[in-house]
Amino acid sequence: MANNTIKKVCVIGAGTMGAGIAAQVANAGIPVLLLDILPKEGDNRNAVAEGAVAKMLKTEPAPFMGKRAAKLVETGNIEDHLGKVAECDWVVEAIIERLDIKQDLYAKLEAVRTPGTAVSSNTSTIPLAQLTDGRSDAFKQDFLITHFFNPPRYMRLIEIVAGPHSNAETVARVSDFVDRKLGKSVVDAEDSPGFIANRVGTFWIQASVNAAFDLGVTVEEADEIGGRPMGVPKTGIFGLIDLIGIDLMPHLMKSLTSTLPADDPYVKIARSEKLIEDMIETGYTGRKGLGGFYRINREGGGKVMESKDLKSGEYRAAARPGLVRGPAAKGDLGALIEAPGKVGAYAWAVLGPTLAYAASIVPEATKSVVGVDDAMKLGYNWKMGPFEMIDRIGAAKLREKLEASDIPVPAILQQVGDQTFYRIENGKRQYFGTDGAYHDVERAEGVLLLEDIKLASEPLMKNSSAALWDVGDGVVALEFTGKMNALDGEVMKLIQKAIPLVKSDYKALVVYNEGSNFSAGANLGLALFALNIAAWSEVEKSIRGGQDAYKALKYAPFPVVSAPFGLALGGGCEILLNSDAIQAHAETYTGLVETGVGIIPGWGGCGEMLSRWADNPRQPKGPMPAVSKVFEIVSTATVAKSAAEAKDVGFLRHTDQITMNRDRLLHDAKQRALAMVDGYEAPEKPEYRLPGPTGKAALDLAVDSFHKQGKATDHDVTVAGELAYVLSGGDTDMIDTVTEAQMLKLEVEAFMRLARNPKSQARVEHMLETGKPLRN
Amino acid sequence: MVDVVIAGYVRSPFHPAYRGAFARVRPDDLAANTIRGLIDRTGVKAEDIEDIVMGCAFPEGEQGFNIARLVGLLADLPLSVGGITMNRFCGSSMSSIHYAAGQIAMGAGDVFIAAGVEGMSRVPMTGFNPMPNPALAAKSAAYLGMGDTAENVAKKYSLTRAEQEAFAVKSQNKAGEAMKNGSFTDEIVPYTLPDGTVIDTDGTPRPGTTTEDLAGLKLAFDAEGTVTAGTSSPLTDGAVAVLVCSADYAAKNGLKVMAKIKSMAISGCAPEIMGIGPVEASKKALKRAGLTMDDIDIVELNEAFASQSLACIADLGIPEEKINLDGGAIAIGHPLGATGARIVGKAASLLQREGKTYSLSTQCIGGGQGIATILEKA
Repeated sequence: MANNTIKKVCVIGAGTMGAGIAAQVANAGIPVLLLDILPKEGDNRNAVAEGAVAKMLKTEPAPFMGKRAAKLVETGNIEDHLGKVAECDWVVEAIIERLDIKQDLYAKLEAVRTPGTAVSSNTSTIPLAQLTDGRSDAFKQDFLITHFFNPPRYMRLIEIVAGPHSNAETVARVSDFVDRKLGKSVVDAEDSPGFIANRVGTFWIQASVNAAFDLGVTVEEADEIGGRPMGVPKTGIFGLIDLIGIDLMPHLMKSLTSTLPADDPYVKIARSEKLIEDMIETGYTGRKGLGGFYRINREGGGKVMESKDLKSGEYRAAARPGLVRGPAAKGDLGALIEAPGKVGAYAWAVLGPTLAYAASIVPEATKSVVGVDDAMKLGYNWKMGPFEMIDRIGAAKLREKLEASDIPVPAILQQVGDQTFYRIENGKRQYFGTDGAYHDVERAEGVLLLEDIKLASEPLMKNSSAALWDVGDGVVALEFTGKMNALDGEVMKLIQKAIPLVKSDYKALVVYNEGSNFSAGANLGLALFALNIAAWSEVEKSIRGGQDAYKALKYAPFPVVSAPFGLALGGGCEILLNSDAIQAHAETYTGLVETGVGIIPGWGGCGEMLSRWADNPRQPKGPMPAVSKVFEIVSTATVAKSAAEAKDVGFLRHTDQITMNRDRLLHDAKQRALAMVDGYEAPEKPEYRLPGPTGKAALDLAVDSFHKQGKATDHDVTVAGELAYVLSGGDTDMIDTVTEAQMLKLEVEAFMRLARNPKSQARVEHMLETGKPLRN
Repeated sequence: MVDVVIAGYVRSPFHPAYRGAFARVRPDDLAANTIRGLIDRTGVKAEDIEDIVMGCAFPEGEQGFNIARLVGLLADLPLSVGGITMNRFCGSSMSSIHYAAGQIAMGAGDVFIAAGVEGMSRVPMTGFNPMPNPALAAKSAAYLGMGDTAENVAKKYSLTRAEQEAFAVKSQNKAGEAMKNGSFTDEIVPYTLPDGTVIDTDGTPRPGTTTEDLAGLKLAFDAEGTVTAGTSSPLTDGAVAVLVCSADYAAKNGLKVMAKIKSMAISGCAPEIMGIGPVEASKKALKRAGLTMDDIDIVELNEAFASQSLACIADLGIPEEKINLDGGAIAIGHPLGATGARIVGKAASLLQREGKTYSLSTQCIGGGQGIATILEKA
């Protein structure tokens, strides 16, 4: 369904979720109508929806991927503009969670919508059958639940619930749209209370809080045990509650307990604590309130992290317990639940009931174990889903411990026996079905994952920092494999080794990986080591080696497509700049951030950015505009906050493409590369007309101004001066031509002067120690 | 000696760059419309006009190609009317008047349009391709940012931030009052945007600005300094046109004469304190006119910055009640190439309105210059 027929969307309800969904539709380049009720006061009848858009433009992290997206949102109110629904192909209802109000709205919608227009609710609690009660069959056919997670731009999960009357084609059309256009990963859920993620998640939160109170475990201990060792984000449980708002807990509890049967294990463990009630009462609702289970105490001008004593209710300096050690700290869940003392006791009190509960909702909440695992990974950012965790522990061992703890063993956990829920068979990942048989984990058409390729093949070549994979159809993928996908000499060696192989045996290369980020840039630790021992020739060799490798990629006789996602910084950005094309995930944060560590881009980034800006038809002509623009971008270490913004900043060309769904990135990049194969010719080498010293003089004047304004430090002036020297072409004259090789030479020379500067070295060291730039 | 007179003054509304009504208007279109307005209002015979002298501080991009000539063609003036672009940065269009006056005095023409324009939304200050001479940049403050020079003057004259803000508030209030009283109506030539919207008032002034408002602003140029955006003239889009002719021509053709040009002067100064440029230039002009400051009734002092205005007021001993009766550039705006003609034209109209005898119009100029013009009421 590549040509999705949803061309305009209407979102009704401009609260956090509705507005966020509308923003994501706009991020996909699709016009969206955002409606809400009339304001309680004032003359502007669209004030509610307009206010929501205005608020989003100031919200961080930003719901919009760029300014253009915001312009695609048309605001209105349901009294005056509901008729416009007739223009829309999909209507998302995201209003208050009250059945009567929703039903009333649907009755109005039925009167104005064009037959066939999909209508979905973003409800998280109300069963579908109740929502459509009283509506026509035609309406019921086009109705479904699309349950987004907050914030809609950043959370990848969407649970889709189809009812018995839902038209399969309508459901497929909406699913396809949210997958390809909105970039969400669809998990099909059944029409059961809380659906999947929130049902398991709420249970997990409750079990974790209960256990902390019952076992006398402190907030920090609970988060240390229940966070990273379980593959849960490092906020752990109490940090997470602070983040989502403590006042939300009673609401979650109320909505689930009211819809679940009385004998549901969640209903049995649901309870509230006096201490938490008091916190909500007094405004200690978490990060948005006066404080939460944690707070930063700024009394006396200091900044002390404090945590709540669950017994006394007082704040005290937060501790770093350091309880979890050995294999338990490294993902061995079996070791974690068997650990002596409170580590094992707490881990089991959380994991035992939570995993059992998760296992108990299949197939009631979703048809397969994969749905539960995906929901928790995508909706709660768990590294592993519950069934993957069970495999780690061992189903038999878990059963044994559950029985010993008097926790009922769910059917599927009995059924799996001594086997695992997942296995690899003939290079394919399979899961254990409720029918007792194994089935392939199916990927949607257009989803290609390196993770799957790795199960079925060996790398074509690899070393300590990179690997090369055959991803089919004559395309290879270059994968970074180092820590943080950092780039070093090994990566460059592998690039050089890969080129002749691709040239002789393949058609194209994509630069891609499945780490947390594309690449945070050059390996700074290695660089600092070289700087500390004054191994200047080694440092220079590494810069030249990077230049050589990137330029070899650029001029290789086959297409090279880079597929970034997450962070693509420094050298990770420069490899994009040296590619023939970029297929970027929408959530790509890229920039040349070298000045933050006191250096300048050294792997061809300066020249590539100059080319991009000089070729920009909207730029004024002459020797300075491109130089000034690139100087501004690089000297301030600008990071684009989305792929769309990266186009505006010039890291992406306007011909580069954006993939909304992370899982489709490799496939799209591969297709992009294949489309370039026929008649491919390597790019011509650029030549630059640069202003030379006169341009540097202009840039220096600007930097002096920033220095006076207090916006640039002393060393910023030095670093910016070197950058200005490179970008203005060194000692060239305006009537001369600067070659790419000369630009690269200028980069190396300036880089080396800065590398030898102790203030730059201090910046590198500070960044490695604190993760933050030193402003010296 | 031929007497040279001012026989007409008009301007476009002034709007803040990038966010004002003229952000998407070409400066040549704005200038052509303004010149057309001058001809219509004064009734001058277009075929008699010798030349258009167009001041422009950054004559490139849409202000390039000798904009003076192009504006004449855009305004459908007879082909015989010439065009010359004049650049003395902020003093450009006052120089347009000086040039016209000199030409007339030499018998090189009877009627000139001395105009000025700057679309600061369309061509950035410094231009698109600033390429300073590195050697000069190293040895002089020739390229120093204007804000930095304002800070230097503030330091040299020990001007506090509060004093500058008090001055800025007065300018805003005077402009606000003038707008309310319709004092700008006669000088403004409305401009019609492509969508049919008629722009006939200024968008720059912020009447009602208080010292508290200004005290909350961030320092704009120096973290240790005193100058803010509120005590600086805003980047502005605008155009001005003044009719300059010989007294004889005006008399023969029934033009309404506003003032006679009494004297003119230029004086250079140190680039790093360019804001005090008006001091020496005004002294020269006074001397040439055989007058003293006491003889001057109306002063139009360009408010590039509050700091340099206050410094010039102190050095020249200008009584406050004579200065910028309808507000100055801090409120009205400072389209670089257009301002000089505005403050001469404005002075001429104020002489008429207030029934006074002598006026002084003077301004500072980036790179270190001052320019001054003394008028005598007709």
